[in-house]
Amino acid sequence: MDTPEPSPRDATRPFSGRFRRVLRRLVFFGSAVTLNLVACLWMADLFWRTGFQRGHFTLLAVFFVLNGLLVLGSMHALFGAWDIICGRRRAVRITRLADGHSGPLAQRFAIVMPVYNEDCIRICGRIEAIYRSIQATGHLPAFDFFILSDTRDLNLWVLEETAWTNLCRRLDGFGHIYYRRRKSNANRKAGNIGDFVRTWGGGYEGMLVLDADSLMDGADIVKMARVMQLYPRLGILQTPPRLIRGASVFTRLQQFAMRLYGPLFLRGLNFWQLNGGSYWGHNALIRMQPFSECCELPALPGREPFGGRILSHDFVEAALMVRAGWEVWLAWDIEGTYEEAPPTLIDHLKRDRRWCQGNLQHLWLIFARKLPFAARVQLFMGIMAYLACPIWFLFLLQSTWLAWDRRFSGLSNLTIPGYAGHWWHITALTQSLILALAILVLLFLPKFLALGGAILATKVRRSFGGALPLLAGVILETLVSMLLAPCVMVAHTMIVISIVLGRSVGWGTQNRETDGTAWPDAIRFHALPSVLGIVWTYVAIHISPTFAAWMSPILLGLVFSIPVSVWTSRSRYGSALATRHILATPEELAPPEVIRLADAATAALDPALSASHEGRFGITAAVVDPYVNGVHVSLLEPARMSEPELDLAERCLSEGLHAMSDRDLTDLLYLAPAMLHMHRSVWLRPAESIHPLWTQAVESYRRRLEGSAS
Amino acid sequence: MGLPHHPLETLNPLSETELNEWEEAYAAVEAYFQALRLRNRLLVAELVRRVLWRASTRKVTEPDTPARVLAMEEALAEISAWTQDVLAEPLENSRLAARGRLALLLTGMPDQWQSVFLTPPPWPAAFVAAMRSSYLAAGPTFPGLPMVAKPLELNAFGNGAAHWWDTMDRRPIVGLMFFAILMTLIAATLWFLFID
Repeated sequence: MDTPEPSPRDATRPFSGRFRRVLRRLVFFGSAVTLNLVACLWMADLFWRTGFQRGHFTLLAVFFVLNGLLVLGSMHALFGAWDIICGRRRAVRITRLADGHSGPLAQRFAIVMPVYNEDCIRICGRIEAIYRSIQATGHLPAFDFFILSDTRDLNLWVLEETAWTNLCRRLDGFGHIYYRRRKSNANRKAGNIGDFVRTWGGGYEGMLVLDADSLMDGADIVKMARVMQLYPRLGILQTPPRLIRGASVFTRLQQFAMRLYGPLFLRGLNFWQLNGGSYWGHNALIRMQPFSECCELPALPGREPFGGRILSHDFVEAALMVRAGWEVWLAWDIEGTYEEAPPTLIDHLKRDRRWCQGNLQHLWLIFARKLPFAARVQLFMGIMAYLACPIWFLFLLQSTWLAWDRRFSGLSNLTIPGYAGHWWHITALTQSLILALAILVLLFLPKFLALGGAILATKVRRSFGGALPLLAGVILETLVSMLLAPCVMVAHTMIVISIVLGRSVGWGTQNRETDGTAWPDAIRFHALPSVLGIVWTYVAIHISPTFAAWMSPILLGLVFSIPVSVWTSRSRYGSALATRHILATPEELAPPEVIRLADAATAALDPALSASHEGRFGITAAVVDPYVNGVHVSLLEPARMSEPELDLAERCLSEGLHAMSDRDLTDLLYLAPAMLHMHRSVWLRPAESIHPLWTQAVESYRRRLEGSAS
Repeated sequence: MGLPHHPLETLNPLSETELNEWEEAYAAVEAYFQALRLRNRLLVAELVRRVLWRASTRKVTEPDTPARVLAMEEALAEISAWTQDVLAEPLENSRLAARGRLALLLTGMPDQWQSVFLTPPPWPAAFVAAMRSSYLAAGPTFPGLPMVAKPLELNAFGNGAAHWWDTMDRRPIVGLMFFAILMTLIAATLWFLFID
């Protein structure tokens, strides 16, 4: 009997062997567990010396979790540093497969950008930059672009259509750049991508999924496509996006920290996850066929917020891919991959609200069958990213209570020797200082390693503007992060509590630009941490000044959360720092070509086709303007207009847009004959027979179109 | 109203109402051509005058129809007929207008082919080719891929939790009791650990 021919995937030798994978994971997690156990035993011994109370049991349990997470983070930085020291040649780098390969790509790839109520001019600017960047490599024929709109704002829908048409006109991109809007945005971003795969997936080997604020270099995209082409076992290739265009202090802090410390963590992550990596939702290349076979997300047991539709789809999709035998790799060396960050602390926390619910849903998947170890660890780390804050909060509360209890219990402060005292002859105070020092080292180790590495490496040092700006940046980032952390802790705790109490989140638009947080907004948003901080400070001082001093980093952050939130949101302070190269990143000091292309992109703007003119904006332009109407109608399905639909159009003509519900307007905008009828009517009918809105829009053309003349 | 070769003496004087009516018609037609981004004033004036001439001849037989309506009908009909001739494409009437306007935009009529607009054939071959190849497609004609969700296979612990969750979801009273017991247990534990 003939044995079936193995698939290209199965016939290809794995890039990384099982032995290396198991050994690396054993060493990595073994070190983390050992270090955590030692710290916990040390702390237990300290409790024993000072008089063990029942409350210490829970404190110790909470410390075990918190310290475990801290150790895990530090281990990533430590192993990442080791990987960097060992050199690029010895590092496991999946993109090595593409080294030395050139020539045209044999397979075709789609570049998809899901958007939801975004600034379409900026989106098209990014598409234009990526398009031109790929064009410069000569591989443009292998790529198609898709703007996948889930936009619910009807005016923005029309603006998107005009921006896309202008983009295609200017780039000669018809047949290469496509735009489609979903009538129903079921299942949010995952549903949007799923709809694309179902409709057009068969034409492409893979899709590069972007976010609305993503930007990627053409040469790197081609390299990723080549890796996918050469390595049939690859399911997802994730790149580590760098934050760019930070204007506010908050964003600059984030982008500086990610840029400086990020490589250590990425290398550390790659050290153990290897082919069992994760997908972060964007700036990643996904093989189409396995994605369609494995990644339609199942509904979770129960209702939202814990059950129902999976909100954070990316981790789950990677886990499902890995479960099906496909490899998910982190392309840590891809440098031309960028995204933007929320501009203020409040925007950041609002986004966290959404992500938190999504990640907590992953609790179910921890108990899924046949899920590989790496996928479970990824899911666990994602969950703990949000549970860590409530646990930390609990730890601080317990510590305060125990300090209060000891202060007012009248118990003696005399200690007994304990194991540490017996073996090493150290006092309880020394023992506690050693523990505190160890925790501080774990906390600041990544910063020290990254700063040291950057200062020692001339190229890196110069790319950040020199040693002094680097040092100043690290000090400022550390101080402000310390002030922000308690506020984030309280916010995350409240988020988790609200989710546990059953409050589900919606799908909000992300604020990508701002002039800063207004004081009333900050007071409203941060009132709880501020009040909590003041009360806690009073209690801490009441316990003892020493205890208050120990707690001061936390208490200061809480008490000053309002001014810190406002101050870090200000772009003018960010600009002042930028002029001194403080918190500067290499991308800011020497912008790569693709960022310059995006900054200079203007293809989406053309006065000949515009729906953003004063007096005829969005829907009004789609009705009145001959070209906007032509574009809009051409993108609609052929249809016939019924009598009620004609009545609806007539009502819109006579009563104007404000008299119509969103649903009615949506129906009209989707009905080609209605849009044509309305266009004809606003031009034909005398002013007195239609709403003044239309008359004014028609009148607006009587003023000379100076824009187009120029 | 009259054509260029008509001597001015042959024109009938218009009343103030008629003048206003034709002024409105003129403004509407001119605005429409400007909406099509025709920038040349002479060209626009010439086209408007031609449209109004046709409208005025219709006005004789349709005296009750407002001049603006007649003029705009003539303008839209002329553009429609002309784009159909250029496109040489039998399209459903209602969509033809949109298709024609789209083709004018994509061809770059306002910038490159103003002088050709609404002129009789023959038209420049490049213009005709550009008009006929101008269309919009929301996506390529590729086959799709099926995506079917596979049920989540949970282990024994997960299945138990899902069952319990489902029960609490279906019977809120059970959920409430569970919540109350849980809170009591937590409170008792905290009391035992920290207060007692």
